[in-house]
Amino acid sequence: MAESTITEANVEHEKRRSLEEYLPDEWLMHIGLIVSISLMALPLVLAAIMSTQSVAQIYDVTDLSPGSNAYENYYRVMTDYNMWTFMINSFIMSIAIVVGKVVLSLLAALALVYYDFPYKNAMFMFVLFTLMLPVPVRIVPLFELMVTLDWTNSMLAITMPYLASATAVFLFRQHFMSIPASIVEAAKLDDVGGLKFLIFVLIPMSKGMIAGISVITYIYAWNQYLWPLAIISSQDQQVVQVGLKSLEGTAAAGQIEWGLIMAGAMIALIPPLVVLIVLHKPLLETFGLQQK
Amino acid sequence: MSESSARAVFKNNKEAAFLLLPTVAVCILFLYYPAIDTFRLSLYQTTLVDESFAGLYNYTRLFASESYRNSLFVTFGFAGVVVFGTMLISLIIAFMMYEVNTGTSVYLITAIWPYALPPAVAGLVLLFLLQPDLGIFTYYIRAIGSVFGYDIQFNWRRNGPLAFAVVSVAAIWKQLGYNIIFMIAALNNIPKTIHEAAELDGVSRLNRLFRIYVPLMSPTLVFLIVINTIYAFFATFPLIDLMTQGGPGGATNILIFNLYIDAFENFNLGYASAQSLVLFLLVGVLMYVQLRVSDRYAHYGG
Repeated sequence: MAESTITEANVEHEKRRSLEEYLPDEWLMHIGLIVSISLMALPLVLAAIMSTQSVAQIYDVTDLSPGSNAYENYYRVMTDYNMWTFMINSFIMSIAIVVGKVVLSLLAALALVYYDFPYKNAMFMFVLFTLMLPVPVRIVPLFELMVTLDWTNSMLAITMPYLASATAVFLFRQHFMSIPASIVEAAKLDDVGGLKFLIFVLIPMSKGMIAGISVITYIYAWNQYLWPLAIISSQDQQVVQVGLKSLEGTAAAGQIEWGLIMAGAMIALIPPLVVLIVLHKPLLETFGLQQK
Repeated sequence: MSESSARAVFKNNKEAAFLLLPTVAVCILFLYYPAIDTFRLSLYQTTLVDESFAGLYNYTRLFASESYRNSLFVTFGFAGVVVFGTMLISLIIAFMMYEVNTGTSVYLITAIWPYALPPAVAGLVLLFLLQPDLGIFTYYIRAIGSVFGYDIQFNWRRNGPLAFAVVSVAAIWKQLGYNIIFMIAALNNIPKTIHEAAELDGVSRLNRLFRIYVPLMSPTLVFLIVINTIYAFFATFPLIDLMTQGGPGGATNILIFNLYIDAFENFNLGYASAQSLVLFLLVGVLMYVQLRVSDRYAHYGG
């Protein structure tokens, strides 16, 4: 029996362990965490409740009961206020950026790690240096370029400039360099070409990294605001984040329908939040790697 | 390096060029060319229809401008508050998470979600909850104030410092998730033996955090200072645009908002380009500092 194997020392040890586990200051940590996490979530919880309320309930400031207008608010914001179009545009933009960025960066990293060609390091630095060139430092000429290309108010304008990525190339390159060299040597002996090696060997070995970079890119693309605001003026082509601004504007004319606006905010928040929650593991792994 | 050349088994230059072409083409067309053209444009005086060479006119005008100097001042103050506030709160939350032994994974996901929070949503939600007349937070702030006999107006649409504080709170809230992710990763990299030795020596929690863990986390903290500063400079644009429009009286008029107005509402493209170049130099200095400092602390890296 298990009981008979327990010595006095073991019992003593068990006692001390359980005492340690229930030390009051461990509980203090738990209370601190629960308080801070609740405070972080509080604004969203309140906004979610108020997104179901009618105008009258909103004006009764302390009324925190879920309202009866949930269906009406969400339905109207989707149809009357164009949110449906904004959401579809945001989905197309984000997915195009994710796919484009991952494919282009995989190809570039393949060349930078597995090909021997002159000025290889200079090429890598050339891509890396773009970290110094975020949209705000080139926004005016970029705008003029889009006008010249006749891309204003088009999906091309809000996707193409994002397809090259120093971060993604850097991460894929790091990841490829952690794969043993013997694997590519074997592929070379079997006379497998570079592209086939990428598709049949590297990509299956990089699923976690691809998932992580896709999540980071998706959230980044979905939350874009400044560039779509500058380059898209047509309501039919606008993305959801900027759409929120027009929602604030239209509602400001007359009585402000805050319930409706909060419904819009909740809708704009759900896609990146769901992606984060579902795919947080590859995201965290990718961030862990990025540090080294 | 021999380690990297061991993998470079494919020798076909044309194929390599073909693989790099899409990325390089996007870099040249949409990143390098506009960036270089920013520099050129900043030397021109522009109207809607034409442009004429003006030398350093835009720059002298920029630094003579009272409102631009105010904007620089506001931006540095804002970045300072956001970086310090975000990192202190994140550090405390990450440390508590590191210290408890149960429920870590639940805490993690409930603490990092602001990483996915769109800045526009963060701005709009807090704008509503802090409305001077209808906001529920405002209501309770006033209620608490009246308990102590203060009549708090909380009219941040009129009060500059208050508006600055409100925008800072929104900016910090949105940036907590990202910081907690990296701080947890850094804490988990600290060897268990250090943790145990400190515990055995009876070092108090706060001393352990600030005397032992923070120095060991310094490479990550330096990285986060730079990332958070760039965030405060650029990614907070939606908060300003939705909450305060740079006001009241320029109290929240950060550089990027000033640039946007000059470029796309005043259509003063040369003047806006000069502002872009100032931002480029600021980012450059930050990146340089990060490289320098992380070189110095390299021996800490796990």
